[in-house]
Amino acid sequence: MNAAGISLRTSMAAAAALIAVAAAAPKANALEIKRMTLSNGAVLLVSEEHQLPMVTLSIAFDAGSRRDPAGKAGLASLTAHCLSQGTRELSAADFNQKVDFMGSAVSVDAGRDWANASLTSLTKYEAETLHLLAGIVTDPGLRDADIERKRTEQVAGIKAEEERPGYPATVKFTRSLFGDAPYGHPVEGYADSVAKLTAEDVRSFYRDHYKLGSAVIAVTGDVHADEIKVLLEKQLSGIRGAVASQPVPPPPSVAPGLHLNVIDRNVTQANVILGFGGIERSNPDYYRLQVMNYILGGGGFSSRLVKVVRSREGLAYSVGSGFSAGKFAGAFSVGLETKNASANQAIKLVLDQIREIQEKPVSDEELDGAKKYLIGSFPLSIDRQSGIASFMLGVELNGLGLDYADKFPKLIQAVTKEDVQKVARTYLHPDSVLIVAVANQREAAIADAAIAQAGGGAAGAPAH
Amino acid sequence: MKIIPAIDLRDLLRAAAAAAAIAIFAPAAAGAGMTDAVKTETLPNGLKVLVLENHKAPVATFSVFFHVGSRNEAFGQTGLSHLLEHLMFKGTKKIKPEEFSNIIQENGGMDNAFTTSDFTDYFEVINKDHLDVPISLEADRMANWEPKQFDEEKAVVEEERRLRTDDNPEDALDELVRAQAFVAHPYHWPVIGWMKDIQRLTLQDAIAYHQVYYSPQNAIIVAVGDFNSDQVLKQVAESFGAIKNGPKPPPMRDVEPPQEGERRVEMRHAANLPAFEEAFHVPNLSNPDSFALEVASEILADGKSSRLYKKLVVEKRMVVSIGAGYDMTSFDPGLFVVSGQMRPGVKTESAIAEADHELAALREKPVGAEELQKAKNLEQAQFVFTQDSIHEEAMLLGLYEMLGSYKLVDQYLAGIDKVTAADVQRVARQYLVDSNRTLGVLVPTGVRPAGAGGGISGGQIRHGEDGLSGVVR
Repeated sequence: MNAAGISLRTSMAAAAALIAVAAAAPKANALEIKRMTLSNGAVLLVSEEHQLPMVTLSIAFDAGSRRDPAGKAGLASLTAHCLSQGTRELSAADFNQKVDFMGSAVSVDAGRDWANASLTSLTKYEAETLHLLAGIVTDPGLRDADIERKRTEQVAGIKAEEERPGYPATVKFTRSLFGDAPYGHPVEGYADSVAKLTAEDVRSFYRDHYKLGSAVIAVTGDVHADEIKVLLEKQLSGIRGAVASQPVPPPPSVAPGLHLNVIDRNVTQANVILGFGGIERSNPDYYRLQVMNYILGGGGFSSRLVKVVRSREGLAYSVGSGFSAGKFAGAFSVGLETKNASANQAIKLVLDQIREIQEKPVSDEELDGAKKYLIGSFPLSIDRQSGIASFMLGVELNGLGLDYADKFPKLIQAVTKEDVQKVARTYLHPDSVLIVAVANQREAAIADAAIAQAGGGAAGAPAH
Repeated sequence: MKIIPAIDLRDLLRAAAAAAAIAIFAPAAAGAGMTDAVKTETLPNGLKVLVLENHKAPVATFSVFFHVGSRNEAFGQTGLSHLLEHLMFKGTKKIKPEEFSNIIQENGGMDNAFTTSDFTDYFEVINKDHLDVPISLEADRMANWEPKQFDEEKAVVEEERRLRTDDNPEDALDELVRAQAFVAHPYHWPVIGWMKDIQRLTLQDAIAYHQVYYSPQNAIIVAVGDFNSDQVLKQVAESFGAIKNGPKPPPMRDVEPPQEGERRVEMRHAANLPAFEEAFHVPNLSNPDSFALEVASEILADGKSSRLYKKLVVEKRMVVSIGAGYDMTSFDPGLFVVSGQMRPGVKTESAIAEADHELAALREKPVGAEELQKAKNLEQAQFVFTQDSIHEEAMLLGLYEMLGSYKLVDQYLAGIDKVTAADVQRVARQYLVDSNRTLGVLVPTGVRPAGAGGGISGGQIRHGEDGLSGVVR
């Protein structure tokens, strides 16, 4: 672990985001998936792959942070972490000892939409590791002392995150955009909201949301579909029934104008997030927006934002855009970090690029390049077990169909230049925009007028 | 698609580095070594090529390693290896700046590169049908490099340093501790370089450095994936075989003198939570002690049943995070590092005392049979997990080839397996002792508004600008 010794050209996170964008396959036979239903109602998806003696299994529960009750931000996350503190029979210490002794990995984590309980193990320890995972999700200990410890850990973790300038920027942006809606708070909650959570809050969240009738299980690796089904039928006898449905919140929107929110801090760089309301995953324009966003700021070094802000102007190491399309409508956002003194200029360049893609059709080369990447890179997303498992979960949770890998290339291929411009005009709002920055304001002096007047090198000129 | 927040790379990098460092040696599940199927060839110009078929998924990875990193730099030119890595994307006689990545992406691939203190790696992961694309692009960049946009890219690297280190207290502390632990050896300075050095570097510096270090004789190519290895060997030979060598790189002769007594250093930095980092000089793979040190790091901090996690996170509730890391694959002897970030209100001294108590226990009492076996099992499992990624497999092969031979990969688990409780105790007594330690403590000065408090505020912390990041003034 020589953390100090590595300096990447660009962030792996950006690369991962790129790959995640391409969620489908050019070939039907790229991945064989068997879909079954367990007697408890859970959907089981299995993709066998016997080359390595290892197994990955992941269970998605309808227990993400969007389910946090009012005033209890962080409860879904705390509940997930408390589950891995052993079962009623097995203390947290004994549980950890057993998992580590096999060299297995077992974790439960909440995201915004779903919570995931997963394991990775050698084939020879698959049954025993699954037994441990099944134990914590169907018969968890949830002891007061463990919950109290995890609660204080979560508060401390949030305080640690707050040191990093990007964190308060993200939290403020999310809060300002979604308000009290289910997506309005960070998954881990706020330090003060988590501090008030009780053991009973955790137990009751568990009872209401870890229901197997709403669960989806993805298994891949050195397993046999029939055998794993039998094993799961036996092991996963937890809470039956389905989780109550959740009302769809109104989509987020930003009033006309440029809404600036600067958190003044003693930092060397301005950490900027700007954006507005986006779409839900089921929006039919999702694929057109993927193409548009790839060209604008999702396509790494092929994107206009990187070409202009990084390569041409040298203003940032990392800049990118994306739609966080979830079960509900999420955000569209652009994130970047730049030295304080160039914050206004960088923001101006981003807004100019958003306008540009609305005003002029993209070039044939850009459209073609985006399609080729989005379609061609599918195999990269399934080149390891974790990728295969998340692909299967995504297909099931978003109702995409087992033939999604076949459909996706066609959906992308059908997108035209006119489509790109149309969705840019419909979904991008450079004149109703929320801008959050954590910056040293003495040096940055971020302000509406300064953004409007900022020079942008060859501002307005096409990036490509 | 998702929100792209301000990206904090540290964890990702640490995870990647840890995976590479930990997962090195294989339990070779079915008896056969991972490297048995590797085919190799050395081209007439000295370029070494390794290929390994892996038909798990319809993808392939192509990787070019250059045997150069910040350890080959000189005072005043720190960060040159990393800046050169960035410049390698800024065009050739045939293609324009950044067109490299554009072409890769249009072919459904991704590409990236990274620099360490020891080496530089350029890699692509791509749809198996398009492996010819990275092969020809990498060959073109090795033969026909002609960078443009030097000033702009240097500015990007400055931004990278601000993001990665200057606004990141834990990385700033790590940088300072390494600078204290190494006095004479180039591991003294950070891979990204001191800010003033980065600002001083010129295009001529980069071109001169490139001529010395970016020759075929100083490179290794590794390809892993869903292909026919003979065919790939042939393609590589055709594309790279005619590339000419520059002068032979000079040997790196700097040796760190033995540490005589504990070193302590304090850093005041804009942060809320205190943190500490202890670093001990240790040998690398060339010394059999490395296996016992690796096992010691597992026992201390791998998993939630590890000693440091159990004591400092669970029992004493002192830290937000705790870790122990050892990179046995550093080219020259490196460091064994223990680091932690305090919970709010916890005194750093008390957490250090607890961590030291665990180190003392390792010196004083042999580890139990079950605990030793657990560490070995973790190593075995992680070795298999690593092979799930063709990219990590390629990393492993390239790294070990640079250290002597890719075949060393197959000896790893045997090395781990031989470690006894007495070995762990012996290396703990020999290396994990105060007189061999550099202890760094982060004293947080608070994150707060820059405009508040008159003239003396966060603006005074000009870390990185004078080449001595974070030194207490």
